[in-house]
Amino acid sequence: MVTPGVSNAPPRRLRWVAVGQGVLWAAIGLGAFLLLAKSVQNSPEFGRLQLWILLFDICGVIALSVLLARKVWRLVRDYRAHVPGSRLTARTVAIFGALVIAPLLIVYLSSLEFINQGIDSWFKVEVKQGLSDAVGLSRAALDLRMREYAERTVALAEALTRSNAADVQARLDAERRTSQALEVVLFGAHTRIIAASFENPLESLPSAPPPDLMQQVEQHLPYVSLEPQAGGRYLIRTAAALGAFGSRDERFVTATYPVPAQLAALSEAVQNSYSQYGDLAALREPLKYSFRLTLTLVLLLAMLAAIYGAIYSAQRLVRPVQDLIEGTRAVGKGDFGTRLPLPSRDEMGFLVHSFNDMTKKLRRARAEATQSQQVVEREREQLAIILARLSTGVLAIDRNLTIRTANAAAGAILGSDLSAATGRPLPELAAGNERLGQFVAALAVRFAAGREEWREQLDLDGASGRRALMCACTPLPGEDADAGFVVVFDDITALLSAQRDAAWGEVARRLAHEIKNPLTPIQLSAERLRRRLLAGMSERDAEILERGTRTIVQQVETMQQMVNAFSEYARAPEMHITRFSLNQLVSEVADLYRSQATRTRIRLDLDEHIEAIEADRGRVRQILNNLVTNALEALDGIASPLLEITTRLESSDDGAYAAVTVCDNGPGFQRELLGRVFDPYVTSKPKGTGLGLAIVKKIIEEHGGRIDADNRPEGGARVRLVLPVKDSTRSATGGARERREQLRRERA
Amino acid sequence: MLRADLTLERLSRGALLAVICAFVLTVWSPGFADALDGILEVRSAYVNVDKGVFLLYARVEYPVGPSLRNTLKDGVTLTFDLDARVDRERHFWFNANIVDLTLRRELSYHAVSDRYLVRDTRSRDQQSFSTLDEALDHLAKVDAWPILVEPQLDGGNYTISVRAGVRRGHLPASLRAILFWTDDWARVSEWYTWSLPV
Repeated sequence: MVTPGVSNAPPRRLRWVAVGQGVLWAAIGLGAFLLLAKSVQNSPEFGRLQLWILLFDICGVIALSVLLARKVWRLVRDYRAHVPGSRLTARTVAIFGALVIAPLLIVYLSSLEFINQGIDSWFKVEVKQGLSDAVGLSRAALDLRMREYAERTVALAEALTRSNAADVQARLDAERRTSQALEVVLFGAHTRIIAASFENPLESLPSAPPPDLMQQVEQHLPYVSLEPQAGGRYLIRTAAALGAFGSRDERFVTATYPVPAQLAALSEAVQNSYSQYGDLAALREPLKYSFRLTLTLVLLLAMLAAIYGAIYSAQRLVRPVQDLIEGTRAVGKGDFGTRLPLPSRDEMGFLVHSFNDMTKKLRRARAEATQSQQVVEREREQLAIILARLSTGVLAIDRNLTIRTANAAAGAILGSDLSAATGRPLPELAAGNERLGQFVAALAVRFAAGREEWREQLDLDGASGRRALMCACTPLPGEDADAGFVVVFDDITALLSAQRDAAWGEVARRLAHEIKNPLTPIQLSAERLRRRLLAGMSERDAEILERGTRTIVQQVETMQQMVNAFSEYARAPEMHITRFSLNQLVSEVADLYRSQATRTRIRLDLDEHIEAIEADRGRVRQILNNLVTNALEALDGIASPLLEITTRLESSDDGAYAAVTVCDNGPGFQRELLGRVFDPYVTSKPKGTGLGLAIVKKIIEEHGGRIDADNRPEGGARVRLVLPVKDSTRSATGGARERREQLRRERA
Repeated sequence: MLRADLTLERLSRGALLAVICAFVLTVWSPGFADALDGILEVRSAYVNVDKGVFLLYARVEYPVGPSLRNTLKDGVTLTFDLDARVDRERHFWFNANIVDLTLRRELSYHAVSDRYLVRDTRSRDQQSFSTLDEALDHLAKVDAWPILVEPQLDGGNYTISVRAGVRRGHLPASLRAILFWTDDWARVSEWYTWSLPV
């Protein structure tokens, strides 16, 4: 019924069917009317057309009944199925039907009474009695004349009885002329004509006596009868037997007299009226019956048509309402594309027009809302991507430290998958995570103190060492009092480390420069003093001088070594990148130390997938030497020393990396030194410059790699370094040297 | 909703009751004292050929009874029809009608003269009879009614059918249209059919 954006006018085919039906019924009705008019004018025609007229009427009633039954059935079905608008239709039909049927019934009953009384009034007793009296009057008038003629005929018979045969004809003629009879005939035995007298002898023959006349004559009784003729004429026929009753005379005389025209005409008029009244009186009941039947049929047709029309009108009236209901439901379900057809230009049309206008505005508003939502969604996605790609941790929490959102970097820095823990309280996640626990405690302390906006560095200790976070907290804007806070933090451990590296490099360089220069003159001066003064001195003084100058030279050499080490740390020689096999280098270093340290078991686990790396082979060898030397020194005094060197090929978004892990089963790193083992002068050994791991880290960073140190859970230290397989990766990521140089520039 | 239910139901019941009452009132009608009850049949019929003209002779039995006499005495005119058909038989198709004639006569009671009149509607000839029996005897006999001439026959088999009918009253044209409901105002006999000897 209601289609989005399309008018729901009936299909063209249905419209043509409806028009065809209308034309058909109009033709049938017109045909029936013509047949009726034709049949009324012509009786035989009526006999032939009667069947067709009946057929038309029956077809009309049946068709109307079928159509009405179909309509009523659909209405009842819709009513029971609670189809929208069916109740309104039923109510309208009931009202229309009552308004039409009640007057129809009143008119019908009144008409029935009127017909009964009207037809009865036609046949009042007075009318019939009047006709009977008229007939009696006519009879009386004619009887007088008949009796007169009968007496004359009897007198003539008596005269003829007495007359001889020769006078018979003359007497008949005289009597005919006297009485103005049409004919006077004397019959003999066997109705043989003896003599006759006619008014027009050439035009007529004596008529044969009728049987009842013969019966009367045979009994010698006078006979008289009135015979109606065609054309409204009357004849009086009389007869009388000759001779006395019982005589042998079989003769009889008959006479025919005309009734005067005026009397005949009056009598005929009375007779005609009598006859017509009889015919009509006989039609009295059938006439009523027919009128009642016709009236009932008309009533039926009118009622059926009225109810059909009421249903049709109600449905047409209710259809826009149904459309509105369906349209409203569609809008309720979110279909704003609904457009209703305009039924007319009345108030209902205005309502439908308003509805269409409303859906149009709703559709436009929804489109705008959808567009805005898409923009917001897109921006949100972009923000999410930015947050996800940020190396800075971003954490949105409420006052109760419940996570609202967190990016991946936050989880990575704090060592917990916070992005998947939305809605969960931070303290709950902090269980088992020492670093996160310290972070949560720091937040709780500041919130408890009422500090909502702050920026501080937080130092968090963990299994992998101390981490420094630069943390900033800001309350989120919003009308809600507890809109929450956003905590932004950076892991500045590496930055601090780089700063320290740069500072130490500068110190080393200055030391090397400022101290190395005076050392040589000191050493040379001491040696010159010993050579010039030693020969002229006593043995005891010479021994003192010898011991003193040797001590000076030894200490200077020691300082020189120390300065060389600083110089080594500080200098940034050009790297000689070559392509070589890392596994092979590891094996060579291992073999070298296997021959020197026979007590320690050195186990290799090399990844065969590492074919070759691009790096400075000599410096990588230096790294390995330093690490193995450190490990071997740490394993000194261990019952069954074990050194494991493992290589693995790893891949990341930046490219392939070769990871080398050096583990031992020694005492491991001291916990307080874990975060600073790669800093210069940080060492747990009694001897050593404390620059070994610092130089390792420096070389690693110059290769674009990274290095971590921690303790294994089962005991022992573990140092893991990662080197890019290709030199291009190192160039892309940038080395520590560049960072160091950058820091140096910033400081300057 | 309930009110609409009740309204519809009441309306339906009321309309149904009204229609039933109207039908009862209409269909009920006093039985007509039927003057046409009794035997109505063609007892015998035959044709004679006289100089190429086929003359029909028929004997008909019309219903006779007191009600007929009373009906006539009330002034009602009775029409007596004798229908004659001559058909040519055809194979695989309907018979072809050659002749379809009706001999129509009216019987009425002449109140002024106390006689019964028999009138031929076509020739307007009329005869009067002092008794009803005489008049009916006259009507029952049809002699030498020319129905066919030899040139109308062109070979094949022919059947002659005769049927008698009686109808009451003269219907005015204006009443004829509304009185066609009542079919008991006319009676016809079965067809009396025989083959024409050619």
